[in-house]
Amino acid sequence: MTPWRELPIARRLAAMFAGAALLVFALVGVALYQVLQTQIVRYQHAELETKLRYVAGSVGACDLRERWHKVEDKVESMVSSDRSTKVWAWSDSDLFRIGTAAPRVEAAGGAADRGMGRLWLDDSDAPYRVLAQSIPAKGERPPVQVWVAIDSQPYRAALRSFAFALVALGLGGAALVALLGHWIAQVGLRPLQRLSSQAQRLSPSNLSQRLQPTDLPPELSRLTAAFNGALDRLEAAYTRLEAFNADVAHELRTPLTNLMGQTQVALQRPREAVRLTEVLTSNLEELERMRGIVNDMLFLSRAGQGDIALDRVCVPLATEVAKTGEFLEYLLEEAGMRLRIDGAADAWIDTSLFRRAMTNLLHNAVQHAAPGSEIVVEVRGGDGAAGECGTGASVAVRNHGKCVEPQHLARMFDRFYRVDAAREHGGERHHGLGLSIVKAIASLHGGSVFAASGDGQTTVGFSLAAPAA
Amino acid sequence: MKLLIVEDEAKTADYLRDGLAEQGWSVDVARDGNNGLHLAREFDYDVIVLDVMLPGLDGFSVLRELRLRKQTPVIMLTARDRIDDRVHGLGAGADDYLVKPFSFIELLARLQALVRRGRQQEPTELSIGDLQINLIARRAFRDGNRLDLTGKEFALLALLAQRRGQILSKTLIAAQVWDINFDSNTNVVEVAIKRLRAKIDGPFRHKLLHTVRGMGYVLETREDEDAGSARSPA
Repeated sequence: MTPWRELPIARRLAAMFAGAALLVFALVGVALYQVLQTQIVRYQHAELETKLRYVAGSVGACDLRERWHKVEDKVESMVSSDRSTKVWAWSDSDLFRIGTAAPRVEAAGGAADRGMGRLWLDDSDAPYRVLAQSIPAKGERPPVQVWVAIDSQPYRAALRSFAFALVALGLGGAALVALLGHWIAQVGLRPLQRLSSQAQRLSPSNLSQRLQPTDLPPELSRLTAAFNGALDRLEAAYTRLEAFNADVAHELRTPLTNLMGQTQVALQRPREAVRLTEVLTSNLEELERMRGIVNDMLFLSRAGQGDIALDRVCVPLATEVAKTGEFLEYLLEEAGMRLRIDGAADAWIDTSLFRRAMTNLLHNAVQHAAPGSEIVVEVRGGDGAAGECGTGASVAVRNHGKCVEPQHLARMFDRFYRVDAAREHGGERHHGLGLSIVKAIASLHGGSVFAASGDGQTTVGFSLAAPAA
Repeated sequence: MKLLIVEDEAKTADYLRDGLAEQGWSVDVARDGNNGLHLAREFDYDVIVLDVMLPGLDGFSVLRELRLRKQTPVIMLTARDRIDDRVHGLGAGADDYLVKPFSFIELLARLQALVRRGRQQEPTELSIGDLQINLIARRAFRDGNRLDLTGKEFALLALLAQRRGQILSKTLIAAQVWDINFDSNTNVVEVAIKRLRAKIDGPFRHKLLHTVRGMGYVLETREDEDAGSARSPA
């Protein structure tokens, strides 16, 4: 059997409608049945009362033995006109009796019975309803007890057929509701079918294709917007990946050209060992460079996929910055620069990744700062104050020197982006991944990067979010 | 020192065998997991270099099977630097791992560290030529004269001296001296070496701190070089 979750929506809705209808019909049916039952009891009572009053009146009027036969006649005529009515009269004297014995009546069950007793007789499946009255002695006549009974069988039959009709109508109604509900659901879901056939036409060859959000009910247009948003992000990610591949291929082309060319030149004719050693050494340097690019690209790619496990600890950021500063101390000294750390904050960080980001930022600053200037690292807590662990934090590196133009500022965190494409810093060649790694590390910590430049100062930094509890 | 290489990639296995043999190791090579496990169980190696991706039995299975019987130090080679691979490797009982592409120098350094791990306590007094280093007092003397070294310079010298004759890569030096465990793309190590060299070798004729271009740095006395330089003025 198909599990409920996999049933078509129209069928599920139809089934739920039918269930709801059935419940409503059942409640209404039970109420109607109760009402009818009460009415029937009231009607039986009224009828019995009329008949009892008639019989009691005629018994009460009788004071002589000779007149009793009048009573008998009256009762006879009443009973003969209506077979379902029975009458008994009983007294100590066998002259003033109707019937062969006093009936054994069960007492009334409760208020619902309105004082009517029950009597089981052989000629009916249902009990008779009985009202009794004692009539005091008058003249020759001793006190007489009078019973009037009517058969409840017709009433019971009526109630039964009513109940049967209720059930049948209820079930039929529910079935009808199910059918109608199914049809309504199908009509209602038509926009969804249109949407799904649109979605089927989306193809990977045309990434910019989107679903049409027009002519749709609001629920679906929200879904369409969300879906289109997901498509936007996928397209962007796909485009980034394409660009990434192109970048890698491009970046690896230069060292590969050098490797192939140098090796081919070296092999052109027999060479001295010294010359060959020279070529191999140069090749090794190119290979190291390629290894660096591949490793950094892999890091970025894994960071982009969130595939790097963070080992976060709560530490004072200023201390970590100082440790990184210690690593770069010689470079700072060579450039005649000083490092100053301002502020303090504690934050949950992966120290190794944080140091990597700080190394890249400081190294970047050392390369761009004016010789002899001061590089300032500002450490701020998430709330602007000293900050405790759990509020997030930010670190900004400020250096004095030539400003970065706005069009470069926006793109300086892009992979392989070099502000000064041709320039090499002190003979070092950079593959332009340093700041993208900073950005990736910030993202891994739930933060972001920022950069500003003006008035001979450039500030580059990143924020760190508090880890989710 | 006996060493087993379990590696299916022929070029890698060959250069590792040749390179390590030149460094004085006695090397066996297995080209697949089953053969590797067989050799590792049958013979007593000082260390095993185990590739993760192997035909037949993979590296993890080889390691698991081996660990049932032997505690030979194992260094694993993996092409994927996924965290789970590392945990998997170390959790299965590997002593160290290297991610491809790794440098030969790096492998050499790790192997030496693994083998050294089991040795007795290191000496606290080291001497290379006329260079004397006291690791406890953190002092260094050359030709009887106290060398004026900063903390980091002494740490660098101590590292080079403890691994005298071994080529140490920049990555290893950055990790050991500054606790920087990533490729920093900076020339910090070059600058540090330059400064240390000025202090320990500057005024002296016999140079001890040598650059091996493209590979790293080594602290050693070089007899033939000294002889060569001694001969040249004559």
